Amino acid sequence: MQELVLFAVKQAEAHGADDAEAFAVTLSESEVFLENNDVKQAKSQRMGSIGLRVIVDGSPGFYSVNRLTKDSVRDAAVMAVKIARASPTDKFNSFPRKSKVKLLRGIYDKASESFGAEAAARTASEMLDAAKSRDPRITVDSGSFSSARLIHYLSNSNGLSLSERISSFSWSIMGMAIDSGEVSSFDFQSGGTHFVKRIDVRKTALEFADTVLDSLKPKKIDSFRGEMLLAPSAVNELVEEVIAHSVNSDAVQKKSSAFAGKIGTPVASEILTVEDDATNTDGLGAASFDREGTPHRRNVVIEKGVLKKLLYNTYTAKKDGVRTTGNAGGSSSSPPLVSTTNFIIRAGTSGIDKMISEMKKGIIVSRFSGNVNPINGDFSGVVKGGKLVERGTVVNAVKEVMVAGNIFSALKNLDGISKERKVMLTSILPYLRIGNISFTGG
Amino acid sequence: MTEVNFVNGELQRMRVVENAGCGIRVLANGCWGFSSTSEMTADSLKESFTEATSAAQVLANSKKNRVKGLADSKMATGHFTLKANGKLSDISIDEKVKIVREAEMAARKHSKIIKTASCTYREILDHKLIVNSDGAEVEICDSKPEFSVVAVARKGVESATAHEGVGITGGWQDLFGTRSHLDFASKAADRAERLLEAKHAKGEKTTIILDPGMVGLLSHEAIGHTVEADFVLSGSVVKNKIGERVASELVTLVDSGSQEMTGNAAGTIMVDDEGVIAGRTAIIENGILKSFLHNRESALIFGTAPTGNARAFQYNDEPLIRMRNTFVEPRSDKLNEMIQETRHGYLVKGARNGQADANGEFMFGAEEAYLIENGELGMLMKGDSISGNAFEVLRSVDMVGDSFQYDIGTGYCGKYQPAKVDGGGPHLRCTAVIGGLQ
Repeated sequence: MQELVLFAVKQAEAHGADDAEAFAVTLSESEVFLENNDVKQAKSQRMGSIGLRVIVDGSPGFYSVNRLTKDSVRDAAVMAVKIARASPTDKFNSFPRKSKVKLLRGIYDKASESFGAEAAARTASEMLDAAKSRDPRITVDSGSFSSARLIHYLSNSNGLSLSERISSFSWSIMGMAIDSGEVSSFDFQSGGTHFVKRIDVRKTALEFADTVLDSLKPKKIDSFRGEMLLAPSAVNELVEEVIAHSVNSDAVQKKSSAFAGKIGTPVASEILTVEDDATNTDGLGAASFDREGTPHRRNVVIEKGVLKKLLYNTYTAKKDGVRTTGNAGGSSSSPPLVSTTNFIIRAGTSGIDKMISEMKKGIIVSRFSGNVNPINGDFSGVVKGGKLVERGTVVNAVKEVMVAGNIFSALKNLDGISKERKVMLTSILPYLRIGNISFTGG
Repeated sequence: MTEVNFVNGELQRMRVVENAGCGIRVLANGCWGFSSTSEMTADSLKESFTEATSAAQVLANSKKNRVKGLADSKMATGHFTLKANGKLSDISIDEKVKIVREAEMAARKHSKIIKTASCTYREILDHKLIVNSDGAEVEICDSKPEFSVVAVARKGVESATAHEGVGITGGWQDLFGTRSHLDFASKAADRAERLLEAKHAKGEKTTIILDPGMVGLLSHEAIGHTVEADFVLSGSVVKNKIGERVASELVTLVDSGSQEMTGNAAGTIMVDDEGVIAGRTAIIENGILKSFLHNRESALIFGTAPTGNARAFQYNDEPLIRMRNTFVEPRSDKLNEMIQETRHGYLVKGARNGQADANGEFMFGAEEAYLIENGELGMLMKGDSISGNAFEVLRSVDMVGDSFQYDIGTGYCGKYQPAKVDGGGPHLRCTAVIGGLQ
């Protein structure tokens, strides 16, 4: 495969590319699906794909194929050059130089090679049984368990040539509790790891079960302004998306980020520190190098509430006259974008129980279902699995309360971060408590 | 797949992706196994077949409810080409780049207040062969282009975003024959400019007139998902409700895979991925729940005929129960009468993202909300979200408009895999909660 990737670069050069880059992925995956309280289907795939990126007179071209033969790679090279000739010139297009990449440990488990379809089916069943045996009212609507092994190959005309193996196991479960005709709020929980020994589907299943059971017998509430305690899933849905967008150098350069011109200034409460870290092997976003071959490192983007840096790939970095942060992301079927790897909010000092006990009146938000505008930070939607807290005590589950506000204001009103954190695929997130939020009762 | 995207005068993304492969699904011992490969050789296909079969056998140890069988259906045979005026493959990449670049620039130059604009053209060309052991032998050629413009207006820290786009089944002429790419740009920019000045609505439960796009979203997200037979079997809110009144008698709600109402809806498929002809399914007829959406497996369980809703996005996706074009049929009310007969409420327009749960609770975004006071259309407010219980909302429908439009064709439905879908209807008047600030 490495040979084919090098061949692709040479072919592109032979057909008129000034610079060329080939990124290929091979994937072998077994997946088992749950549906309606039962295992549904087992699925496997063997897939390979190569994405060829070229620069011709400063113009970019991209073509991707999943037929990994010399003939189809040659045709792709010809097409990529043709597309580049139809594209506008942009002097910032370039590929990274060859640099030393130290391969990360802890992202490939040799034991994954013998973790076959049967083990995947058994693990999926374990997750289902764990949720169902918690309480007869639990209904698992769907879920899945996946075991994947992939290899990334990357070469470019600057002499860069890299490859890396990654194993990953990920799982999810969703559904509700049904009690004499009453259907609870939906919940979705997920987990993931690189290592067979760290697969813990039971923990995820129980968290799902407890969340839906807790949301039974919800009561309607009147509209009010108060505190909001976001669970990690809701932090992911509400806060992560907005921060990830705002620290993306591409969004800043395109004037669609609220963080433009704010480096060195406070953008959140001083208790908030956010980092992007592909070298943290707890997250499934861990890898040694990015989509362009730049070595990964830890990037602290917000430190004690102050915006420290943006995330860059080679293109956006060249535009701003800085170094790439190793955040070129994307698959082999798309040219590199700027993206987060593992999005991490640093743990706080309070326990969740203490954070609740300090609340006067507010709502614990398990999940948020709604719209978040990553540009201006406005959000509006429905609280899922919400619980009303009064005078430091959880009173009852609440019925479909709407919540609206602005994330940037909320980050400034952030007054608590839990020490407990949850790893959710490529995010590592705590609970966040935010004051002065508007809730509308149904 | 071809995609061209310009943002603020620069090429953000241009790519062509060519994927080929074969997915093999087997039903053995009452269990499904699926395996796919991107290597189209006899040896690799044999290996995939072996993998699919052993995957099914692996499940036999843990599966409680075995698949009893598949409902009979006349299996499609022959060649199906979905109608397209102006083959997309005949349009040069230079032309596609040109229209995207021009439209993005037109949106940005529309006024000084537009600080950011983006324009995207995307086309999916599908060439599919489906063969199964029950006699399906189909070749399908399909082309689905889409075009959209996003404009962001900004003044100080305030900003507002507007979207304008179209997604269809068809060709280049179908996409731009009656509407120029520049018209999308000016509409998006103009709306962003007006939304910047708009205030938030006050959150309340009130009378809402939904535009065709919002009706499409309601039909798809809030009703459609709850009647997908796999969700019904998992305990969705409509379980055991066939034959019951679930909506106002003014509501007839349909899901169709063929060219229904107007041509070119984005979710048109003609034949589903189990080889079943994809026709019209009335989900709700005059307020009565008539049918769920089925594949062959669920149809057998419910003792009914498959409805042609089994869809797979790519060769490496297994067919799932998915919607196609989901809509409410028009009746006789004029929009201006609907407004005149509203004492207090909102006309909401511009469907944005939506989500719904199996208990019928939904929430979806609207780009614009116009306040209605004493029968007159007033101020434009920021859109916020609309929420409620889908069936309560449908029971509250008391006026149904007379003109029809599909308007969610640029969207993709995500249910484990993407799917191109569409939805629409006439204007509907109902009661729902509009989000906002207290």
